[in-house]
Amino acid sequence: MKKKIIALFLFATLMLGLTACSEAEAEATKLVIAARGGSHVDAMNAVKEKFEQENNVTIEILGLEGADLKQKISLDSKNATASYDLIMADDPWMPELCEAEIFANLDELGVSGDEDFESASLNLGKYPYATGKLYALPFSGNVQLFFYNKEIFSSEGLDVPTSWEEVLSAAKEISETEGHIGYAVRGQQGNPIVSDFLPVYWAFGGSVFNDDWTAAFNNETGIDALNMYIELYNAGANYEKADIVSSVSEGSAGMSLGWPSWYISGENASAEYAPIPSKAYNSSMESSTGMIGNWMMGVTNNSVNKEIAAKFLTYITSSEIQKEMVNFGGVPTRKSVYLDEELIAKNKHFPIQLEALTNSVARPRTPKWSEVETILGAELSAALAGTKSVEDALAAAEVEINALMQ
Amino acid sequence: MKKQIVFHHIMTLPTILILAFLTLFPIIYTVYYSLTDFYYLSLASSTYIGLDNYIKILNDDIFRLSLRNTLKFMFFAVIIETFLGLVMALIIQNKKKRVAKIYRILFLLPTLLPPVTVALIWQMMLSNSRGVINQLLSYIGLGPYNWLQDVQLAMPSIILIDVWQWSPFAFLLIYAAIQTVPKTQYEAAMIDGASWGAKFIYITIPNISQAIFVVILLRTIDTFRLFDKVNILTKGGPANTTTTITQYIYQNGVNNLKVGYGSAVSILMVLMVLLLSSVYIKRAFGENNG
Repeated sequence: MKKKIIALFLFATLMLGLTACSEAEAEATKLVIAARGGSHVDAMNAVKEKFEQENNVTIEILGLEGADLKQKISLDSKNATASYDLIMADDPWMPELCEAEIFANLDELGVSGDEDFESASLNLGKYPYATGKLYALPFSGNVQLFFYNKEIFSSEGLDVPTSWEEVLSAAKEISETEGHIGYAVRGQQGNPIVSDFLPVYWAFGGSVFNDDWTAAFNNETGIDALNMYIELYNAGANYEKADIVSSVSEGSAGMSLGWPSWYISGENASAEYAPIPSKAYNSSMESSTGMIGNWMMGVTNNSVNKEIAAKFLTYITSSEIQKEMVNFGGVPTRKSVYLDEELIAKNKHFPIQLEALTNSVARPRTPKWSEVETILGAELSAALAGTKSVEDALAAAEVEINALMQ
Repeated sequence: MKKQIVFHHIMTLPTILILAFLTLFPIIYTVYYSLTDFYYLSLASSTYIGLDNYIKILNDDIFRLSLRNTLKFMFFAVIIETFLGLVMALIIQNKKKRVAKIYRILFLLPTLLPPVTVALIWQMMLSNSRGVINQLLSYIGLGPYNWLQDVQLAMPSIILIDVWQWSPFAFLLIYAAIQTVPKTQYEAAMIDGASWGAKFIYITIPNISQAIFVVILLRTIDTFRLFDKVNILTKGGPANTTTTITQYIYQNGVNNLKVGYGSAVSILMVLMVLLLSSVYIKRAFGENNG
């Protein structure tokens, strides 16, 4: 009798095990995406359901703060099996992350960057930049624009500036009126001041590095550009992001640089916008000045779901889905989406943003950009705060960056 | 008896081993990493570089500045917090029980808030275009001040925020100590006609000196680790005037993933905290025991 009971128990256990296995087989594959939190996550969540149903997958999207995102995807890259199948990355991180082989080669997964992607954006996902293999597709096509308060410009009879000489002149005029500041700089140490200063420097015809990766800013061009930036600050104020947006939107400040999502939400824009002035002085040559700041998305090299992850990447960056995501705060990277008449009617900034993207400038493509930005950011901050002269700050940054790049 | 002692050791051994593993292992690993050029994203394995990281750190101007900033912050924050904690405790001491209870709860609220929340609240209050502090100052014809981006004001602003948050902690410990002072001592002093100042200096202070030392010790260790407020409010700027050692570690070890270098700075920081703590601990407890 005992033997029978044991045999029955073993049989039941075996059947339960088999049932569990067959259930597990029927279970949907789970894709985990490490994403930059905010509107990107909202937009993806809004369109993921169709893909989940068609492909029997569940998609979990983790929205993380920028620095946290970089840290987590870096740590996860050393695991045998990835926690994240797809990851988002700020475009300046691409050289560092590609060098560390965190991304899977998309060409090998059958994902191609077709010509509908704005080439300035697509190039960011290739390593080496623009010429190499494709590791990530542009997910969000941010590019810096010039923002100004329309009422102030109308009351002062000012035209939209096309050179930084004109920006300074307008800033001085605005700052002379009571209760107004001319130009709001974003001068916090680190990434903010570097992102805010470089468009000015580029307009002066400067570049951060020479061809041999030595620092190229400690010269007359760099000094002139930084002096211009400090003069703009003197005709305005040094604000952090929230204060910049509120002051330009509400009319206590005249102008600033910014990312479109700061001021523009769907059909509404709290300030007028234009491409960033491309000349230092009215008599100068034009240069590309709009800093590109795309969020890229790629498949992790250690993902066990590479094929389905690649399929989702193709889906989420397709023209059709990008058009849908626009309604949920998505920022397109495809020309066909920017040029869609129906979308332009609702998003009047699209033509200007596409123009800015086309003429945009990418931050230097070096794996050491984070460190370069830290050094440059500290020295620019010192010059703006007046603890160092412009010449001393640029010279110190040059020495440190050259030592780093060796 | 001997058997009992052996049994006792055998029973506590697993706990000791686990604790040793959890505390010693990370420390040994950090020391090991600090002697290598370990960069987390490198595909090549790290190499042993001896004391190079330590030499580089000690020669780095930014590190020296961050150490100076940390000590400056620690010095002012600890003194002001301890002083205010003492003042608050003395004020509440003479209140009626129910009133004292209400004050205690009100005073403790800032301490209960997470540092991130505190930083964000103060970021809004100190905003130079819409902040309530600049608005209030404008009524008396002052400002606006760029609290967090002015080289003269950034560090005092961070100290102010820390004082706001942690003075109540000092108050709590000192207040608890004051409650234990024997009433008979005050009564005897009163009979002798001692003034308030004399009672404070000769009765209160000697009785609560241990608590004050504990406050100073704990706040010293905590202020030495200042990070959240700086990282959220100033990112170490302007011009590195608020860069602290923890911010420096974060920048190198976490942000730039230079684990070897970051580990070396961490070891130096631990040594400094140990040094500071040991002085206080010896002073506060050692002498009495001896």
